[in-house]
Amino acid sequence: MRNIYVYLISMLICCTTITALAQNQNLTAKDSINAVKILKPSQVAKTIWWKGHTYIQVDAASIVRSTLMGNETYSAEAGLQLDLSHKYFPVLEIGYAGANKTSLENVQFKTNGMFGRVGIDFNLSKQKKESKPTSNLIFMGLRLGITNASYDINNVIITDNYWGGTTQIPYSNIKGLQAWYEITFGLKVEVAKNIFMGWAVRNKHLITQSKEGEISPWYIPGYGKNASSNWAISYTIGYKF
Amino acid sequence: MKNINCFLFLIIVIIATSCVSNEECQKERSVNLEIGFFEKKLNPLTNTYTFPAISIDSLTVRGITSDGKLIDSILYNNSKKISEVNLPLNKLDVQSKYKVTFNKTVDTITVIHTSTTNQFLSLECGCIKTFSIDTVLTTNHFIDSVKIDNHTVNTLKLSNAQHIRIFN
Repeated sequence: MRNIYVYLISMLICCTTITALAQNQNLTAKDSINAVKILKPSQVAKTIWWKGHTYIQVDAASIVRSTLMGNETYSAEAGLQLDLSHKYFPVLEIGYAGANKTSLENVQFKTNGMFGRVGIDFNLSKQKKESKPTSNLIFMGLRLGITNASYDINNVIITDNYWGGTTQIPYSNIKGLQAWYEITFGLKVEVAKNIFMGWAVRNKHLITQSKEGEISPWYIPGYGKNASSNWAISYTIGYKF
Repeated sequence: MKNINCFLFLIIVIIATSCVSNEECQKERSVNLEIGFFEKKLNPLTNTYTFPAISIDSLTVRGITSDGKLIDSILYNNSKKISEVNLPLNKLDVQSKYKVTFNKTVDTITVIHTSTTNQFLSLECGCIKTFSIDTVLTTNHFIDSVKIDNHTVNTLKLSNAQHIRIFN
């Protein structure tokens, strides 16, 4: 079952890439007509920076990943992105994630909560003057993510093997703001009218790193496993208004 | 197209490697008190003391519980030519007491560590106790005096140094 999921994701990624190439070379006559539409003077300034497009998108990769990981880690997220002159794409992403993990030594970690990210993507694809306009894009971007999810670490037992005895240390409802930044790179392709699919690779760096010996979460909603840096992939399906 | 294929391959490698996790603890968890043995030598010419390290011909160390009973497990059992010992501190008490037999002379060493700290390592490694030594009390049959060089006892190993120096 797991192999099937991996195969399906790979197929989806390949399809998106192939469609992106096809879309760049294959524009319709209708697009050409739109490109030469005469605007009123009051509309000109507005049109320079505001293309009038808003994307609503969900991340399919996080849902697939949650299915594969069972109850150990889970997440779901959606985003709202604006298109400014088809160059800048400010984005707001909101999601819910959590983890239920038991270590080999039977220490139990549990967290869940909301997270948010704000950022911007920059369109890297150059539009040739003679070519027709396209909605597809190759982008690189930045995100700043935060979460205030609390967490519990239960069954932390210290055993004294020589002197004898055990003690249990409770770590319940530990709160703390976690923040990170992400560098993203990816593709977004219009696969049908106003429907977009795309993937992005995300390199995440934790800003609020805990010091050695301090209590810290195993998993941070929106960031992933607690490490100084993380890699992740998102696969978005979106609608353009 | 070739570049895109390479990039896709890279992504798949990243996904595959990110799924592999080592869940065993890889961190150092042992917290031991290091004690070194030295001789207090008076130089009659300069009237000053020197403190060369000595090795004990035969050394036996056992823990003593808070109610005065000897622990069955022996930490050092008639060990030969010992110049330094690593001893476990009591994680659940404020003091650790040892019966130390230097050759045939018996002394007790009591290490008082009222402030212990819970140090969380990770989910895989759990939590350890680190200590801060307040006082060291000894009987004085073999032992002349004691000096605390490093009060903090944690997972870090001291290079060419001990937490406590015992002088004969």
